[in-house]
Amino acid sequence: MPTENGATKVKDWRNYDRVLLPPIQDLHKLEVYENEYEGYEAIRSILGDSEQDPEAVTNEMKAANVRGRGGAGFNAGLKWSFMPEPDDRPRYLACNADESEPGTFKDRQLMEYNPHLLFEGILIANYAMQIDACYIYTRGEYVDWIMEMQRELDKLYDKGYLGENIFGSDFSTEIILHKGAGAYICGEETGMLESLEGKRGYPRTKPPFPAQNGLWGYPTTVNNVETLAHAVLVMRHGADWFSGIGAESHPGPTLYGISGHVERPGVYEYPTGMLITDLIDKVAGGVRGGKDLKAVVPGGASTPPLRADMIEGVTMDAESLTEAGSLMGTAGILVLDEDTDMVSWLRRVAHFFQHESCGQCTPCREGTGWIEQVLARMDEGKGRIRDLDLLLDLSNQIEGRALHRGRLHRRRRARPAGGSGGTGVSGRPIASFSRRMFSLLSAIRQTVMRKT
Amino acid sequence: MGKYARPHIQTYKLTHIQTANEVSDFAKHPVSPLPDQDPERHFSDDDLVWTGEEEDLIERYREQYPTNESAVMHVLWLAQEKFGWLAPEVIQFVADTLDIPYAHTYGVATFYTQYYKEKKGQFVLDVCTCFSCQACGGYDILHYLEDKLDIEEGETTDDEMFTVRSVECLGACGSAPMMQVANGRYVHNLTEEKVDTLIEALREGEDLTFESVTLPQDEDEMDGNRRSDVDRTETYRTPPVAESVE
Ligand SMILES: Cc1cc2nc3c(=O)[nH]c(=O)nc-3n(C[C@H](O)[C@H](O)[C@H](O)COP(=O)(O)O)c2cc1C
Ligand code: SF4
Ligand code: FES
Repeated sequence: MPTENGATKVKDWRNYDRVLLPPIQDLHKLEVYENEYEGYEAIRSILGDSEQDPEAVTNEMKAANVRGRGGAGFNAGLKWSFMPEPDDRPRYLACNADESEPGTFKDRQLMEYNPHLLFEGILIANYAMQIDACYIYTRGEYVDWIMEMQRELDKLYDKGYLGENIFGSDFSTEIILHKGAGAYICGEETGMLESLEGKRGYPRTKPPFPAQNGLWGYPTTVNNVETLAHAVLVMRHGADWFSGIGAESHPGPTLYGISGHVERPGVYEYPTGMLITDLIDKVAGGVRGGKDLKAVVPGGASTPPLRADMIEGVTMDAESLTEAGSLMGTAGILVLDEDTDMVSWLRRVAHFFQHESCGQCTPCREGTGWIEQVLARMDEGKGRIRDLDLLLDLSNQIEGRALHRGRLHRRRRARPAGGSGGTGVSGRPIASFSRRMFSLLSAIRQTVMRKT
Repeated sequence: MGKYARPHIQTYKLTHIQTANEVSDFAKHPVSPLPDQDPERHFSDDDLVWTGEEEDLIERYREQYPTNESAVMHVLWLAQEKFGWLAPEVIQFVADTLDIPYAHTYGVATFYTQYYKEKKGQFVLDVCTCFSCQACGGYDILHYLEDKLDIEEGETTDDEMFTVRSVECLGACGSAPMMQVANGRYVHNLTEEKVDTLIEALREGEDLTFESVTLPQDEDEMDGNRRSDVDRTETYRTPPVAESVE
């Protein structure tokens, strides 16, 4: 909880008191969550207070401007308000705990250390949208965390916090865990809905959006784990408190997952809008071994990487990152030092997208494979200058022609500055090769369109 | 149109149509049996029964969803835990249990990478070589394991103990390189020594304990481990330099 002098502005992030993962021993246990963290007080007071009708809760969320932490960054309250008026049809919430975006590992830490914050957030969302059941779609690899969450959920059912007439009110709702089985595309919201229905995780075309036609054709809202956790903070401290933290256009506390070549990788909780340079140098202890920075991927594999000289003054919020040519994504920051072979790295990323393409749309299914092959050729030192144009062409062919428009590398500038004059890039050793290639490659931006 | 199309169709026929022999060879392949031909069986009808406990569990899964179809992923998991892998007759068994079409069940089983469509070793070692792990030496670990166990990625050791796979991001990028053992426990911050100890422990039949990775901020504010119920903790560590990248 923010103390009296608790820092809420980015400038004094050093005094920031954590709220999502506060330093409380054994917070993952229900008793501790209730006794030491005011746990389930927010939902209790909502249910007990006749003023707090569902619409008031949604409006509070809207005013807080909680932007979805699953990648798309859409105002969560606004999304909630898209649900149609309750009728006699069932309504669902699908909590996206698939977390398969490479470079992202914050939801797992939240589920490990503060699962009840998620559960309480779900209860609040369910009340605000008058939802009967929430399915938490967790990726199949998170078995340990699933089992632990199930144990805690059982406790909630026993205590009457879940099920019929929760907390003695006349509101009934349920939480059900669903275990995936390893498919990146099930993180995409409609792919996830298909998977929940027991099908292959093929994303659907939108519209219709899940709010109209979601799980089994009924109104459904999809939210990320961290987004739902924020709902508790908003209801506990108020919309003004929340929107007063961090970046103005993208407020709130957030979990930064920093990985790669830094001294202290890990999940850190700070306000949004932190300087990327602060996060790397001051928070994560700098680039390992005092090396120079080569590139930063600010929000998971689907966001375009930024070259070292591009991050000066860039802050972690949608506005600043978009201006810099990237995206906020999931705030999973990958730091790459000067020794990184960018071509090999990009080839591996291309392989990921090729492997995880669900295969519905021809441009994506075939194009990702070709991109990987061209990059493999470059990586093996047999690249040709025209491969760059080929990559650009391939990316443009995918862009706009597949369901996830341009799920792969999109090169923004057609003619990269400072292209090498030689014919054919037969460059090995790696270092000189990749240094030469880097200015080109940084222009091969990866873009995943995440349309909500 | 027809004028140009004909020679094209003919070439297609000449090179691509399989002979009757090839078709039946294809049908013998355990992974993709043709619907009207019986694949080789790995489990007998006597094997393919649920215990009472499992039936209760399946009933509970069904109750959680409005359609039987939706419970299919849970039941496939259950079948895989019971039989080790999803042979076609196991998939058929799951389909019959839920009263849904075989083709649908087969489609689901083949979509997700964690369902094994062929027999694997007792411990499948899924080494992450994706995004962050690639940059932090995931391939070093993969190659070390391949050399140690004398197999290639995707293969199983002769004693059917280990299968090594290279997999996509497992959501533990901060503790890269890392791997998952047998669709279960995560092992973080891998080094060659850690791999040695792990293989030794698995050979000895030891259970892996849950390893909690502590938050760096916790180390500053509450000396590390905040969970009293977890014995083993790891702190995030600076990853080693990646030697091999592919
Ligand atoms: C290819 C793809 C993969 C995605 N993977 C995830 C994921 O793993 N976790 C997640 O929360 N959202 C993921 N998303 C975003 C979801 O589609 C959706 O926008 C999000 O869950 C909505 O929640 P939010 O509004 O709370 O952010 C993915 C989107 C795409 C296009
Ligand atoms: S864009 Fe690719 S991943 Fe998305 S639906 Fe189409 S084929 Fe599947
Ligand atoms: S890249 Fe290996 S766990 Fe994410």
